[in-house]
Amino acid sequence: MHIVCCVKQVPDTTQVKIDPETNTLIRSGVESICNPYDLVAAEVAVQLTERYGGKVTVISMGPPQAESALRECLALGAKEAILLSDRAFAGADTLATSYTLSQTISRIAAVNPVHLVICGKQAIDGDTAQTGPGIATRLGYSQFTYVSEVVSVDVENNTIKVKREIEGGSELIEGTLPALLTVELGLGIPRYASLPELARALRQDIEVWGAGEIGALPERLGLRGSPTSVHRIFAPPVREGGRVFDSTENTERAIEDFVEVFFEKESPLLEHLLSQDKG
Amino acid sequence: MPKNSKGREIAEIIPEKCIGCQLCVGECPVGAIVMEDGVAKIDPEACIGCGRCFDVCPADAIIFEKPRKKRMTGVGQAPVPVDEYKGVAVFIEIREGKGAEVSWELVGKARELAGKLNTQVLGFILGTDIKPVGEEAIAYGCDVVYMIDAPLLKAYLPKVYGNALVHLLEQVKPEILLLGATPLGRDLASVSATRCETGLTADCTGLDIDLQGRLLLMTRPTFGGNIMATILCRNHRPQMSTVRPRVMKLPEKDGSRRGEIHTLDFAAPEDNLPRIIDFIATPVEADAEDITSAPVLVVVGKGACDTRHLPMFRELADLMGGAVACSRPVVQAGLLPYERQVGQTGKTVAPKIYIGIAVSGAVQHLVGMQSSDKIIAINTDRNAPLVRIADYALIGDYTEMVPRLIKGIEARIQSFEGKASKR
Ligand SMILES: Cc1cc2nc3c(=O)[nH]c(=O)nc-3n(C[C@H](O)[C@H](O)[C@H](O)COP(=O)(O)OP(=O)(O)OC[C@H]3O[C@@H](n4cnc5c(N)ncnc54)[C@H](O)[C@@H]3O)c2cc1C
Repeated sequence: MHIVCCVKQVPDTTQVKIDPETNTLIRSGVESICNPYDLVAAEVAVQLTERYGGKVTVISMGPPQAESALRECLALGAKEAILLSDRAFAGADTLATSYTLSQTISRIAAVNPVHLVICGKQAIDGDTAQTGPGIATRLGYSQFTYVSEVVSVDVENNTIKVKREIEGGSELIEGTLPALLTVELGLGIPRYASLPELARALRQDIEVWGAGEIGALPERLGLRGSPTSVHRIFAPPVREGGRVFDSTENTERAIEDFVEVFFEKESPLLEHLLSQDKG
Repeated sequence: MPKNSKGREIAEIIPEKCIGCQLCVGECPVGAIVMEDGVAKIDPEACIGCGRCFDVCPADAIIFEKPRKKRMTGVGQAPVPVDEYKGVAVFIEIREGKGAEVSWELVGKARELAGKLNTQVLGFILGTDIKPVGEEAIAYGCDVVYMIDAPLLKAYLPKVYGNALVHLLEQVKPEILLLGATPLGRDLASVSATRCETGLTADCTGLDIDLQGRLLLMTRPTFGGNIMATILCRNHRPQMSTVRPRVMKLPEKDGSRRGEIHTLDFAAPEDNLPRIIDFIATPVEADAEDITSAPVLVVVGKGACDTRHLPMFRELADLMGGAVACSRPVVQAGLLPYERQVGQTGKTVAPKIYIGIAVSGAVQHLVGMQSSDKIIAINTDRNAPLVRIADYALIGDYTEMVPRLIKGIEARIQSFEGKASKR
């Protein structure tokens, strides 16, 4: 079985902030990491090949540094990695990204048929769960999002059975291969790579493909192929803090004060809430 | 303005302002811009001083002083004749035979947008036996409802729903389409945006209209909630956006409203479709509450992640007619199930009263609860982010404070009830 995994390098979002006064980005010490959801996707893919045989190819679109995200996946047990890096890809929104990735997957599949494509459910830095379905739609693959369990894959009969988490419960669903899955965080815990695996991952050659290699139409790539554009960025509105009741001196008093003020200031709200509850 | 060794005036990047979007990298005709540590960098010797990077930069992070007008960004592919597209459409999701609440919230927002654009609100409904939902859609504010009623649409399959929705979009040509950011909504939005080759912005928290260009201003948190971005889709239609439940206000239902309902046919896709074998409803526990609809939430943080105190938190929640929710570490520790997690990777909540007990208020948590009416924070740390934005901050150890708080509130409630019985 041949599985392609799409991964993205993202800034560690916990560290990116805007200075509300100057409206500029504070990014000192911001590290780039492999999107946590995508690491789970790679782990799941590797586990599937351990169960059913076959190999995992990881692909990532990004600047040359995105190579390190690919190496993280190689260390988990992926066999091959391709970096999609070209100036023409820059500035892509999800539509252009899904075009670039699906074009790449078609190229890979032409040489070595692809049974499964696995993506993380979403990236932590922005685009929310759109790229996966976009790729499946373009390739015409069966599409299973929010997968919480891969029940079985049958390459001979070309079928896959998965469990998906949807509103109100989970769904057991069966479809044909090739298929694209987007996976929940809970589906796997990325393993700690062994030293030899790490060494292999660091040494391995990573192919770099550009627009030419994937036979893409230039007008559908990157900025030119992106219908959406960023108009403005700004710091999120901050809520003003209110009253502080400090109990380090006297807990009893602080709580009494709070209850007093709270019930006085919010009395319409509370009366409504509490009477509704009783009625 | 700086010059390079060839004496050419060149563009310069202000690293602090650069958001790392790479638009300039793609735009530079000579490949003079590279990304370094997440920030764009111009090679002064390669730069030809054309200023195209300056034109596309959304963050004003490029200095380029030759006099020229700033051009609009986002060229897109073959633009569509945008004038042919009219109306603000909402995809109305069906849940257990009824319209999902988030869809009605969006109809409310669509009314406001349509008012500004002086156009109609359109409801798109897919499913089986959906006539009553169509009428409800009008009561909530749709002017015209288009539905496809077919047995194949009973359960969600991406290709089938995708075909049906794209068919509606091609027939009706709305300028805007809004969908709820539910599992189904996100999935379907992406499938249909890809098929229509149009732009889609996920999880918007603000929607407005730029009247000049009849453009939808789609504002959403990005970088995990640290930054807000307003996104535009200039040359493609429909302009599509998903919005999480509870972000927009639920409008009043008005049974006397009148509107039209049209039913359309559609061609089912022919390939062998996936087969849903089983649906396992999440077991409804005795105390199962939906944290997104509770008026009061008692939110347990990592500092209060203690089984022994769970009954106390429940007592506080019960007292105020609310539910217990939590931050992510509490789910990871296994104290409460994922359904109760608030935040970026959990649920967005906007209760009347949010009570955070030993919750620090990390951005990923804040994005999921910032629009709560009143925030109370109980924390030993005066400088915790949640404490800073709380309307009421109680500083101290929760094990000391919560029992007293419960007593204090109980006493107050009794006095309310006293008042009520006197009436
Ligand atoms: C991609 C990503 C997604 C995420 N998604 C979410 C999400 O959806 N939801 C979410 O909540 N988090 C999310 N997180 C995690 C988030 O970054 C924080 O780690 C988390 O919210 C912290 O939870 P906390 O406030 O409960 O714990 P902590 O940050 O550890 O805070 C504990 C607080 O308790 C206080 N405290 C300790 N003891 C006491 C006491 N006895 N009395 C009173 N106060 C006390 C401390 O002062 C401290 O402020 C996400 C992170 C990432 C990277």
